[in-house]
Amino acid sequence: MKILVNGTPVVAESGMTILEAARSAGHYIPTLCSVDGKNSDKPCGLCCVELVGREGLVLACSTSVEEGMEVVTDSEAVKKSRQEQLTRLAETHFGDCKAPCNLTCPGQINVQGYIAHVAMGEYEEAVRLVMERNPLPFSVGRVCPRFCETRCRRILVDEPVSINHLKRFVADWCLANKVKLKISRESVTGKKIAVIGGGPTGLTAAYYLARRGHDVTIFEAAPELGGMLRYGIPDYKIPRDILDYEINTILSMGIAVKTGLKWGRDFTLEKLTDQGFAAQLITIGAPLDIPLEIQGADLPMVIPSLKFLRDINTGKAGKYGKRAAVIGGSNTAMEVARCLIRQGVDEVTIIHPRPKTEMSANQRTIREAENEGVQFLLMADPVDISQGSHGMNLVLTRMRLGEPDSRGIRLPEPVPGSNIILEVDSVVYALGQMTFAEAAEGGHLEESLELTPKKNLKANPRTALTNLVGVYAAGDATGGPKTVIQSVVAGRRAAENIHSQVMDVERDAGENRFNFSRGRSFDDVDLKNFAGINVKLREKMPERPPEICSQDFDEIKLGFTENMARQEARRCLSCGCSAYDRCDLKRLCLDHGVDPNKTGMGTVPLYTKDLNHPVIAVDLNKCIFCQRCMNSCEYDALQVTATSFDEQDRPVGLQLIFNDKCTNCGKCVDNCSTGALNKKDAIVPIVNEEVRSVRTTCPYCGAGCQLSLKVKGDTLMEVGAEPDLAPNYGALCVKGRFGNKFVQHRDRLTKPLIRTRRGGKLVEASWDEALTLIAHKFADLKAMYGADSLAGFSCARATNEENFLMQKFMRTAIGTNNIDHCARL
Amino acid sequence: MTNSIADSAQTDLFLMIGSNPDTSHPTIGLRVHQAVDRGAKLIVVDPRRTKLADRADLWLRIKPGTDVAFLNGLMHIILEEDLWDKRFVEERTEDFDYLVSKIKKYDPDLVEKITGLAKNDLYRAARMYAAEGRHAIYHGMGITHYVTGTDRVKSIANLAMLCGKVGVPGGGCNPLRGQNNVQGACDMGALFNTLPGYVSVSDESLFDRYEKIWKVKLPRRPGKPATEVWDNINKGEIRGLYIFGEDPAVADANISHVQGALEKIDFLLVQDIFLTETAKMADVVLPAACYAEKDGTFTSTERRVQRVRKAVNPPGEAKPDWQIFCELSTRLGYPMEYSSAEEIFQEISTILPQYKGITYERLEKVGLQWPVPSQDHPGTPVLHTKTFTRGRGLFVPEDYIPPVELPDEDYPLSFTTGRDLARYNFSSMTGKTPEINVISPECFAEVNPADAEKFGITDGSWVRLTSRRGSVEMRAKITDRSQEGTIFATYNHLETLVNLLTLDALDRLSRTPEYKLCAIKVEVLDEQ
Repeated sequence: MKILVNGTPVVAESGMTILEAARSAGHYIPTLCSVDGKNSDKPCGLCCVELVGREGLVLACSTSVEEGMEVVTDSEAVKKSRQEQLTRLAETHFGDCKAPCNLTCPGQINVQGYIAHVAMGEYEEAVRLVMERNPLPFSVGRVCPRFCETRCRRILVDEPVSINHLKRFVADWCLANKVKLKISRESVTGKKIAVIGGGPTGLTAAYYLARRGHDVTIFEAAPELGGMLRYGIPDYKIPRDILDYEINTILSMGIAVKTGLKWGRDFTLEKLTDQGFAAQLITIGAPLDIPLEIQGADLPMVIPSLKFLRDINTGKAGKYGKRAAVIGGSNTAMEVARCLIRQGVDEVTIIHPRPKTEMSANQRTIREAENEGVQFLLMADPVDISQGSHGMNLVLTRMRLGEPDSRGIRLPEPVPGSNIILEVDSVVYALGQMTFAEAAEGGHLEESLELTPKKNLKANPRTALTNLVGVYAAGDATGGPKTVIQSVVAGRRAAENIHSQVMDVERDAGENRFNFSRGRSFDDVDLKNFAGINVKLREKMPERPPEICSQDFDEIKLGFTENMARQEARRCLSCGCSAYDRCDLKRLCLDHGVDPNKTGMGTVPLYTKDLNHPVIAVDLNKCIFCQRCMNSCEYDALQVTATSFDEQDRPVGLQLIFNDKCTNCGKCVDNCSTGALNKKDAIVPIVNEEVRSVRTTCPYCGAGCQLSLKVKGDTLMEVGAEPDLAPNYGALCVKGRFGNKFVQHRDRLTKPLIRTRRGGKLVEASWDEALTLIAHKFADLKAMYGADSLAGFSCARATNEENFLMQKFMRTAIGTNNIDHCARL
Repeated sequence: MTNSIADSAQTDLFLMIGSNPDTSHPTIGLRVHQAVDRGAKLIVVDPRRTKLADRADLWLRIKPGTDVAFLNGLMHIILEEDLWDKRFVEERTEDFDYLVSKIKKYDPDLVEKITGLAKNDLYRAARMYAAEGRHAIYHGMGITHYVTGTDRVKSIANLAMLCGKVGVPGGGCNPLRGQNNVQGACDMGALFNTLPGYVSVSDESLFDRYEKIWKVKLPRRPGKPATEVWDNINKGEIRGLYIFGEDPAVADANISHVQGALEKIDFLLVQDIFLTETAKMADVVLPAACYAEKDGTFTSTERRVQRVRKAVNPPGEAKPDWQIFCELSTRLGYPMEYSSAEEIFQEISTILPQYKGITYERLEKVGLQWPVPSQDHPGTPVLHTKTFTRGRGLFVPEDYIPPVELPDEDYPLSFTTGRDLARYNFSSMTGKTPEINVISPECFAEVNPADAEKFGITDGSWVRLTSRRGSVEMRAKITDRSQEGTIFATYNHLETLVNLLTLDALDRLSRTPEYKLCAIKVEVLDEQ
């Protein structure tokens, strides 16, 4: 029979529902509950449609087609009704879409995801996941102020998870195990892009631009790349070999580097344009110290902090005497002071006009400096320096906090007549950084670059575009010094924007703010969420004691051992939903503009998580009673029931019971419309990463089931099956759906192994060594005993192509029919 | 399989013999269950009470190893009661008289004595199978893993032809092949006695053809089957062995014998994804890509050629096996240069008549079932609809030969093995999923309650099973799933190497070992 769907004729068979008929003709009607021709006892109502000539709406899943029926699937009335249904269901849905750590990280790194990889021992995958958003895991893992840890829900149980130490662990593990990350690049675009300045922002931008397939060149004035990471941060925080490895990993994406070339001196923007660079990104940072503007600041032993750190980090440290003062309260000031201690200065004093708690430096860093013997002279401000008989006289005035201003802030003010004199041999000042002393120099383009009042480059914070076409700027060069992770974010955003502009494509949609949450602030989170979770304090980072480590520039924090990392990762409460990328409720809410932050969501946990099933975790707080789990089960192995229903027909007293017919096949999970059912091993949420589905054939028995591998980057995340594909039509067994952890297992062979003498050990070798040895052995045996002294076993688990070549190899290259496989085993 | 998995939707009766698809081929087992749900009849012939046996209209708890007598017995009754398909036999088969003469002696009295099955049940089974309808025989390794494996397979074919159940949708003889690509590996000629496409090594003209295509002089001497290689090594005839993706040190029958040979061999090369027990004994181990890291095709039990697609990169320096073969062959003076798996497949389809019409492009959405003789051929879901490969179907009746190792005074019990649903082979792959270790943490010696009483075995106690070849220890589970007189264990736990017990006596044609039956004794151990 014929019906019309949104005015288009559709041929339907009698007995079909409207939903089936519309779907078979490719018309989309949303539903949360319909599966395999069955619906929930309490239909979700999403499939409502309008029938021309009939009052009200009908449910497409339970209305049969009739000849000539005219169906409207997208009228205003239909949309409104769907919004109401989604609002109704969302009101009792309780859980976190994204974990607070993920939401708090400036880099929006999938924190929960990489912690889960660590918990499973998949360190390489963890690094790859971090590098989706941060190509500097070694550095950030050592110096990040850890915004994420401040919001970790584990604080409500005991202490936050040591997230940053885990990031550092996985990066270091890859270094120690010589892992090649093999991050893939998109196809070559042919666009040349210049990145001026090889610090963290520039390196990050270069990395993401190279991944997009662009031809990237980094221009760096210094002899080596790294910027502040190399010349600003001392070795005891980021050792040089670690930084070199990190930078080389980025460069292995195929990035050209020109060091020793200074912008404005050795090349100009115009020259780059002439050389065919389609875009130029300026990431020169803020390399100049804000000057100390007092009498005597020009004395030879009054040193700007960046020059001081550069000297220290390039082995050009001078003699700083026995007493030194450091002016400033920033992280830079702390590192300067700690370097002076390591240079053998006996008395290092930090001078700051405010109390310790009002220093901009991280409190953790302040404590570390203090532990190493740095002294603090607070509420004091320099006014004059002069050369005395025993070194320099640094004149300070004492400060006090003034009356609160209109915003309630108490600014420090000098106490009249309170000058004191500090005798020092050297002074280092760290009063802040800027990009230019006056303006950019080099050519007419440089001169026309607009600057901010603070002498930074003016760039649109969203697009990174300066006032010049094709010229972009990002990072400290535009906003003054920030943390490394903030530089990374700036670099990544600039790269994405440059990519979209040079390729003339839409920029990838930013993160949507849609989020179910168990509570936005700690106070909102019901402590029942953590019932049954035992206190387990965080692993302590092993470190060298201050009295020892302050003697040298070796790294202070030694890093987690593997066991510590695994233990620590297991402390993660996995707040974010591991069904994030597949949740139909979320998808439909977004599609229909329903924002549960406004319309309401569950606020308290009514059910405890059920982890009794061997492969499936059940969280009924997220269940919307679509019953797709039960209705899609091929074994009649589970029941989901409710004791009653509220006035809006939502279930009360939910129960989900697996019976002994369950074969652990996991099909119910793949059909769950939310995250109520989850595969226990799929604990890495896929938040914003691009996911591919690769159709392939199961590697186990002879049934030949078709699998869909869900792949993120170079990581196999999960296995499912398509419902309409022969021979298995969506069915898989426990091996097919769960038995795939071996692919990424660390016991995989990664290098050829050879045994050089009988009874000796198998040792790693190059392919060339191994193949040479094999060829030599085979040829010898053949020469001595004939071709039939060799035999080959082929593999019934490998492909046809490989079996074909194996037998061909034995019959041609070796010359024997001694080839067989386990067909009869 | 002569037929397709999807055919089960049309089958009126299943005769399952020596197959437990619920654990060995779960998604096929599921289709059989669903067919039974909709009313299909089910006969299960199995010494073990399987899930399907529980649901069967008729469950025949046969004495292990007596299937040829049973199948001959059915044919005897069918002939005696005149239930056979005269038209099919007349039009499609050959040597019927020989069949009749051979079957004659397998009267129900004799068969009852051999198989332990009641005469009544034999009659019932014969009448059910021979009746009108689409009747399918499914069999698994419970048929082939015997010295008389080939005899059984032939007897199954005899029975199906006699009743005209071949060449129709929903019917046929359907061996369920164990490994994902065992069908393909055979098709590709990774066999000692056939070249690609089942060309016998004695077919001289085809050798000429392959020599022309491959531009090389091919050896025309017969090769050695894998199961005989161990003896050949011990005799010093084979000195170098190249093992690709197999783990015979744990997977073969009578593995002490295998391990001895592996220690003796001059040069052992293993190519695998893990350092298997066999790889640990190798002189060189090459790291290979796994299924998710390479392109190619597998051919399933229903002859369906399906794509394998690269999803992720191999770890470290591991490479797809086909690239390794190319490099090695080139070094040995026979250059192989293929740029992709697809290029190899193109060569396969020019050589193999069954694959002639298959291209990667055609496999994009759904696989094709061979034979596919041309590019516009839709594939062959049902074999032998009009003629058999050789023309007429030849009856090849065989006499019943008892199993090699029957229980006796010293080894009073029989031992048989099977597959664990959650595990595969020796778990080198499935064992890497922690949840699977939760589902199936260990393997058990499944002992019938009567035997438990007789030998003083209690549920959960540790027992040592000993055959003439070796011993293993595991815990006992008392269950009537095992037949009285027989202990069953799964073979999927690396910690419990049941192949220390199994028998390496070989089928005279296929050289398949008698995995499924040997004699053992049992000792109860003190608590461990």
